[in-house]
Amino acid sequence: MPQFGKLIVNLVAIAVLGVGGGLGSAWYMVEAGSRLTTRSFGPWTTWIAAGRPDADPYTRAHTARNGLLPITSTLELSFYAKTDSDRAQLQSACDYAITVEGLEGAWWNLAAFDRRGGLIPNGADRFTFSSDTAMREPDGRAVIVVARDARPGNWLPVGAGKVTLALTIQDAVMAAAVHTGGNIKPLPTIRKIGCR
Amino acid sequence: MNPQLPTPALPESGWPNLPPPRLEVRRPAAPAPPGWVRKIHWRTAIGAILLAGILHVTATLTVPLIGPGTAYQKLRELLPANTMVVVPPARPGKQLLPFLMPDAYYGVCRYSLASEPVTVTAPLADLGWTLSLHTPHGDNFYVIPGQQQRPTDLTLVIVPAAEKSGDLIPAFTRRPPAASEDQIASPSEEGLVIIRAPLKGLAWKGEAEAALARAKCAPGLKP
Repeated sequence: MPQFGKLIVNLVAIAVLGVGGGLGSAWYMVEAGSRLTTRSFGPWTTWIAAGRPDADPYTRAHTARNGLLPITSTLELSFYAKTDSDRAQLQSACDYAITVEGLEGAWWNLAAFDRRGGLIPNGADRFTFSSDTAMREPDGRAVIVVARDARPGNWLPVGAGKVTLALTIQDAVMAAAVHTGGNIKPLPTIRKIGCR
Repeated sequence: MNPQLPTPALPESGWPNLPPPRLEVRRPAAPAPPGWVRKIHWRTAIGAILLAGILHVTATLTVPLIGPGTAYQKLRELLPANTMVVVPPARPGKQLLPFLMPDAYYGVCRYSLASEPVTVTAPLADLGWTLSLHTPHGDNFYVIPGQQQRPTDLTLVIVPAAEKSGDLIPAFTRRPPAASEDQIASPSEEGLVIIRAPLKGLAWKGEAEAALARAKCAPGLKP
């Protein structure tokens, strides 16, 4: 009987450590990424090799699993944020001010999605702002407010649930800096204004 | 005033040569592992780690093959081969792909080089516009961004990689590309051409539509 108990414990150990550990770590590396495959700047994360023909297997799996079709990261960078600058989850119940500053010379686009990459229905039918469409402050900054209810200025409406912000920046010099680990232009800050 | 008293000298050799005292620090005993941990054989632990590694690598490599579907698999059913399809800006529930930039027109062509090369004509009217070529696995093997004041539409010919190298095609059957067009070697027989045309606002909608109407994707060497 003690032998049988030992066998059960060993089988469970193999299942948990082997199957759970192997599949769990693969899922984490493919979904969240690691320092090998992503770079983070504050709340923004980008997959370093996204879209590149020489991308690593994790990046390829991430792209395939999520049905993405990224442009090569040597030209254009796609950053995603699921938290604000204070590392709190982005919630549609809260209002956020996103300040875009220092991206002069680069073409950029900021859009709000749900966690699966779907557009969030809203009455204003507005889903994105870009360097062409965002209104600027007198000092050149663009402040975009993500909120459920209408706000003056650049209002990006969101519905219920958790929000993922996607920032696309077309700037080959910045893309090269991300690859080489160099300094890049400052990315927008995401500041929570308040929650209801 | 105290008188100076004589200090008796101690004999150096009189002291015993003892080792320094050893301080015994009593550490609390390490907690014993639970009984079930002690039942796990070391071979089981090593086997589990090896199994984890094998499953990790296998799962990562097979996700593109057995996952919910790459972007190409999703679009393959919707798009006829070698035809440019213009997709209007996305709306909730009517998105071509996840996280695809909204407020942009997309010209999408599923090319197939099975019979002959494919010629693509694309207007790149402004900043933010891009023409990109992707393999079925999502690799973006060619991209060109739009520029302000680009005078003419861009024409390129997609050819199989072998034809581009010229090794497999006799020289007399190969047509030299015209000066105004680029030859792009596709690493796969099929793939996607994506033209992204972001809108600056509703006022530019007609202009973007007119520009994308000139976009073409056709088999053969002439658009």
